[in-house]
Amino acid sequence: MILRNVAIRHGRKALAGPIQKSLLRTLTTDTLPPQEIAALEHTILNHNKETLSIDAQFNQLPTTRTFVAPVKRSLSRREVRSRFHKRYQIKATTDKLGSEIDPYYQPHQLIIDPPKPEDVTLELLMASQSHLGHSTSLWNPMNQRYIFGVRQGIHIISLETTAAHLRRAAKVVEGVAYHGGLILFVGTRAGQGPCIVKAAELAQGCHLFEKWIPGSITNGDQILAKCGIKAVDMHDKEVEGYEEKIAEWSALKPDLVVCLNPLENYILLHECGLNNIPTIGVVDTDADPTWVTYPIPANDDSLRCIQVIAGVLSRAGESGQKKRLEAAETGKVTWLPPKNLGNPVTEEDRKRAAEQKKAKRMLGMAADGQEHTRGTRGRNGDIDYQSDDL
Amino acid sequence: MKKVAWLPASLRGGLQCAQYSQTTASSNFPRRTVFTLPKKQFSTSSSLQESIAAAPIRFTNNNAKEGEEEEDPVFNARLVPNSASYFTAQPIFTDDLLSLQNLLQRYANLPVLKPGEAPRVAWLSLADYRNIVGETVKAAKYSKIVEILHRLNHIHPSLMPREVKDVLNEYKRDVNPYQNTAKPGLVNTDGHALGAGRRKSSTARAWVVDGTGEVLVNGKTLIEAFGRIHDRESVIWALKATNRVDKYNVWARVSGGGTTGQAEALTLAVGKALLAHEPALKPALRRAGCMTRDPKRVERKKPGHVKARKMPAWVKR
Repeated sequence: MILRNVAIRHGRKALAGPIQKSLLRTLTTDTLPPQEIAALEHTILNHNKETLSIDAQFNQLPTTRTFVAPVKRSLSRREVRSRFHKRYQIKATTDKLGSEIDPYYQPHQLIIDPPKPEDVTLELLMASQSHLGHSTSLWNPMNQRYIFGVRQGIHIISLETTAAHLRRAAKVVEGVAYHGGLILFVGTRAGQGPCIVKAAELAQGCHLFEKWIPGSITNGDQILAKCGIKAVDMHDKEVEGYEEKIAEWSALKPDLVVCLNPLENYILLHECGLNNIPTIGVVDTDADPTWVTYPIPANDDSLRCIQVIAGVLSRAGESGQKKRLEAAETGKVTWLPPKNLGNPVTEEDRKRAAEQKKAKRMLGMAADGQEHTRGTRGRNGDIDYQSDDL
Repeated sequence: MKKVAWLPASLRGGLQCAQYSQTTASSNFPRRTVFTLPKKQFSTSSSLQESIAAAPIRFTNNNAKEGEEEEDPVFNARLVPNSASYFTAQPIFTDDLLSLQNLLQRYANLPVLKPGEAPRVAWLSLADYRNIVGETVKAAKYSKIVEILHRLNHIHPSLMPREVKDVLNEYKRDVNPYQNTAKPGLVNTDGHALGAGRRKSSTARAWVVDGTGEVLVNGKTLIEAFGRIHDRESVIWALKATNRVDKYNVWARVSGGGTTGQAEALTLAVGKALLAHEPALKPALRRAGCMTRDPKRVERKKPGHVKARKMPAWVKR
């Protein structure tokens, strides 16, 4: 349209008002050459024809005729909440319906409620695959006495031996816990973390599920310098008054190390050997049983087996701790305080020490003054407080 | 602390005292030096026992030893680690990780938002976390914590537990950079939109109005203001790239720098002003390069160099 024609057709009325934005934008001075416009229109026409024909074909199909495209609508907050609660209500009402299921293996139960040493049976050990060793070609002959036989090219560990060794190890853990020792549970393979943490929680020990930092025992003062320690009394209540001692105290060392994969933790076991720390380890047919003090011949590649063993040992530790606290209730202390720890420093002790120091200093000054009067007149009255303190 | 075993009854020490008794009596040395024992210890077990947390078990002797024990009643205290993660050498970090894992396990069944729909949160940076904790935590380990936080953040807000909210707040950075959004440009009542742009050391302001394609830069037309055709094109590049050269008028002030800098500062200014009129053009303008500020500046001259990088010519002797 040409601007002049607009003015002629609509006259004064059209020009009277302000020109609209949108109107201005349509007034382009740039124009495409006529051939290009023709080509563009042609392609658009072609495109429309094609799509129309495809549309027609589809619309003849019976399914598409009645099809209504789904409208995606996000749920409101209230709807999300009500649906969630409804789901749990339905679950609560219908969960008990249907047939009864026999007790079956629930993987999380081993971590939530680990078995006790009394619960260890050969069936449990068998079910948790603790009898499966390694290929006969990989064996360590030191394990000969733990091996029951060979089946399908792998060694089978004797379950009686496993059970006996496991019970012995449980006794050791219980004894160390009863005598106030520090138990360290180590399992650095993937997936061993949860059972290790649970075991440490039950036995009130320490856990380690990532790489053992070499030197944590032999060079603990450097490596564990930032890790805090505290003093506790016989009832495991924290005691104040040892702050100064603790600040200077060297790093703690475990009194018992339970290692679930000795093969990967040779350095740890070596450090324990250097420091006379007893160790308990799960020894597969390819491991060396002399690396640990109390070997438990079992399959260390099965997480289920590891969970059973860690669980049994942690329950033993738990009962040891319980017995220790019960003994403490009756006034019996099952352990000795470490040497040089001494008694807690109270506020009164600090005051008394300060007073004594002050009195000593005063005395020293008096003695010095007497010396002055006697002979050394030329000396200036420099009083050496340092020597007084000695 | 040096833990030297104190062996007062040692035969060797007694002998030494006897040997040097005369000299010690006459000299003014402090008393301590007299009784200093030879450093070599004869039993290795005594030094070992000290560093182990619990002392060896004292088996009860039924013989009459009770009288001896009552001589020095020592308070019964033993040393235990603060945290079960003592031997990881990073107890605070490990405890944090475990508590977060616990939290996630407890609330794993709650409905979650679709990926990307959760509010964007800037978590504590690794350096901040290290400062707070005071341990040398590796980046890969800290990323485990961030991963869990990210998952917890996706719990549906209608069912987000109070406990989780508190924990997430602990790990949030004080200032959330994702809340910073650019203010949209405004067109005033007269239909003017102002945009500002910078490039090198030039600063430009451009007012863009509905019009017919007239451009005035510092009161001069485009041809008078810029000699190079390339510069003239850059000034109105935002309009040209969006095919709107003849639909707007531009009135601009520009100062500082040279011609290229001024022209490209104007590109940015005009682009921003045009965006105020038509916000939908943003992707097109970004693709055309009219939205990004070029941060390059003249590099400073360094001592020992002729210019920023140029070294003086090497001369033999």
